[in-house]
Amino acid sequence: MTLHLQNVGRCIGNQWIVRHLAFQIGNDECLALVGPSGCGKSTTLRLIAGLDPVSEGSIAIGGHDVTKLTPAERSIGMVFQSYALLPHLSVFENLELGLKIRNVQCKDRSIRIQRVLDLLQLSDRASHRPAQLSGGQRQRVALARALIRDPEVYLLDEPMSNLDAQLREGIRPELRRLVLEQQKPTIYVTHDQHEAMAMANKIAIINHGQILQLDTPINLYKNPNSLFVAQFLGRPQINCLKPSDNQIQAIRPEDLKFDDSGLPCRLLSREWLGNTQLLYLASSEGDLRMIMDPSFECPERLFVRWDPQKAFYFDRETGKRIP
Amino acid sequence: MTTLLLLLLPSMLFMAGVFALPLARYLWLSFHADSVMTGLVAIPNDGANWNRFLNDLRYWQDLGQTLRFAVASVTLELLLGLAIALLLNQPQRGRALIRTTSLIPWALPTTVMALGWRWIFNTPYGPVNRLFESVFGHSLNALGEPSLAWLTTVYADVWKTTPFVALILLAGLQTIPSDLYEAARLEGAGALTCLKKITLPLLLPYLGLALMFRMAQAFGVFDLIQVMTGGGPASSTESIALYAYWNALRFLDFGYSATIMIGSFIILTMMVAIAWVVIATARRRSVVGAPS
Repeated sequence: MTLHLQNVGRCIGNQWIVRHLAFQIGNDECLALVGPSGCGKSTTLRLIAGLDPVSEGSIAIGGHDVTKLTPAERSIGMVFQSYALLPHLSVFENLELGLKIRNVQCKDRSIRIQRVLDLLQLSDRASHRPAQLSGGQRQRVALARALIRDPEVYLLDEPMSNLDAQLREGIRPELRRLVLEQQKPTIYVTHDQHEAMAMANKIAIINHGQILQLDTPINLYKNPNSLFVAQFLGRPQINCLKPSDNQIQAIRPEDLKFDDSGLPCRLLSREWLGNTQLLYLASSEGDLRMIMDPSFECPERLFVRWDPQKAFYFDRETGKRIP
Repeated sequence: MTTLLLLLLPSMLFMAGVFALPLARYLWLSFHADSVMTGLVAIPNDGANWNRFLNDLRYWQDLGQTLRFAVASVTLELLLGLAIALLLNQPQRGRALIRTTSLIPWALPTTVMALGWRWIFNTPYGPVNRLFESVFGHSLNALGEPSLAWLTTVYADVWKTTPFVALILLAGLQTIPSDLYEAARLEGAGALTCLKKITLPLLLPYLGLALMFRMAQAFGVFDLIQVMTGGGPASSTESIALYAYWNALRFLDFGYSATIMIGSFIILTMMVAIAWVVIATARRRSVVGAPS
C-alpha cells in the first residue's frame, strides 16, 4: 500500500493555497509535514482526506485514484488536532459511532472496540466521557478511533499540540511505536521540528504552499537546499553571517570553535541548558550562537573560527543553496 | 465570612425588593378582601379568595387556554427556529444581511405588531379575509370564531418570536466545532446522522435555554392577546395574565387578583419542578447507559 500525490494543488478564488505537491510514501513510512502556521500543511492533509476538493493533480492510495472519491470511500484514519470527540458520548460510544455508521455488526463492534481499547490501555475508561479524561487519554481515544477503522492511510494533524511539553515527550515513543506497527503510510503534521524529527522517517518542509525539501531528517539537517530549511531545522538556530557578494554564509552553532586567530567576538549573554551552554556573541559578521561545554567559563572577549567545509552558502535573493 | 455577607448584602437586598417583597405582599393580599366593596381597604376574609379561586371555572379554563397557547407557539417557534438557524449557519452570500433582517419582527413592539395582525385578520376588511373570500367564496371570521381566534394569536406570536429562538440556536450552532462534522464525514455519516448524533445533542443546552425563556414569556402572555382579541370571543383566548388584569383593574378586586397571581405562581413553579426532575433523570440515565 502506498500513498501517491501527483502535482496536487488547491486553489481558492485565484490564490493557490498549496501547489505542486508531489511525493510517494510506502507502507512503513511516516512522513512529517512541517512549516510555519499558514504554510498549507493542514490543507495538504485535508486534501488527502478528501475534506477539501483538489483543484489540480491526483491522489492515489494503493494504486487506485481516489481524487474524486468522498472522504468515507478513501479508507483514511485521521487524528484531529482537537481530537474531535463528541462530548456527550462515552469513550465506548465515541468509538462505536463510526462503526455504526458503517453498519458493522453489533457483536463485531464490541470485539473491535475492546481490542483497540486494550491496545491503548483505555479499557478502564470505556464508560467515561471525554471531559472526564486527561489530555493524554483523550488523545489516545482520538488515535483509537483512527485505528479501529483499520484504514489504508493514517493522517495525524498536530496530534500532540494540545498536550503539555512533558506529556508530549512521554507519549512520543508510544505514538511512534503504535504508528509504525500499523505498517501503513502515515502523514504527521506538526509545526514542531523536534516532534517531526522524533516521529517521522521523512520530513517535508513546507512554506507558502510548496514543499521546499523532502528528505530524511538527518539529510535535511546536513544538506539543506535553502536558507529557510537551514533555519527551520536545528535549535539553536543556524548562524547567518552578514551577506557579501549576494551570498549568505550560514554555520551551525555546534561547528563554531575557539581559535585565537579567528574572528574577534564579545560575549553578549549565556544560557545554561543543563548538559550544554549557549553563548550569544557579537562580532563584525553579526550576532552568533555557539554551543559549549556547561563548565566552560567564557571570557568577555574571545575569538572563534569554523571549518569553511561545514558552512553553507545561500543566494541572497532566492535563498537557494549555492553548492 | 462577615465580609462576604456584607459584600453580598446590596444584591440580596435588591433581589428581595424586586422578587420577594411583591410575592410576600401578594400572598398577604390573597388572604384579604380588597376591592371597591371594602372601600379599597384590605380586610381579612379567612381564605374566601382561595375558595373562590379553586372553584373558579373561568380561571381553570383560562389556564388551559394559556397552556394551549404556550405549548403550541413555543413548539412551532422551536421547530421553525431550528430550521432557520440551520439554514443561516450554512456558509452563503448575504448571510449577515439575512440574519439582521430576520430579526425585524422581534424588534417590533408587541403592541404595534399585534395591531397590525388584528387588521390583517380583520373581517371583512383584512387581506386574509379578502384572500379567503376570493378562493373559497365565503368570508372567514378568524378573530370572531373561538376555534380560529386562538390560532391567530399563536400565529402572530410565532411570527414575532421565531427570530429570537433562531438567533439563540444559531449562537449555539456556532459553538459546535467543525471538525466534529469532518470526523463524521470520514466515517461516511450523512446529513441526518450528523443532525441526530452531533448537532441536536450539542445544541440541547441552547434548546433548553430557548424553551425556558419562551415558556416563561408565553405563560405570562398579555399584550399580544389584549390588543389582538381582548381575550375574546367569549373569553376563548383569555390568558391568566389577562384575567388577573381584569380582576384588578376592571373590577378593582385586588384581593382576588393577587390570589390568581399567587395561584398561577405556585402552578408554574410545580411545572418547572416536574420538568427539572424529568430532565435530571433523563440525563442521569444517559450517563450510566454506556457499557463498560
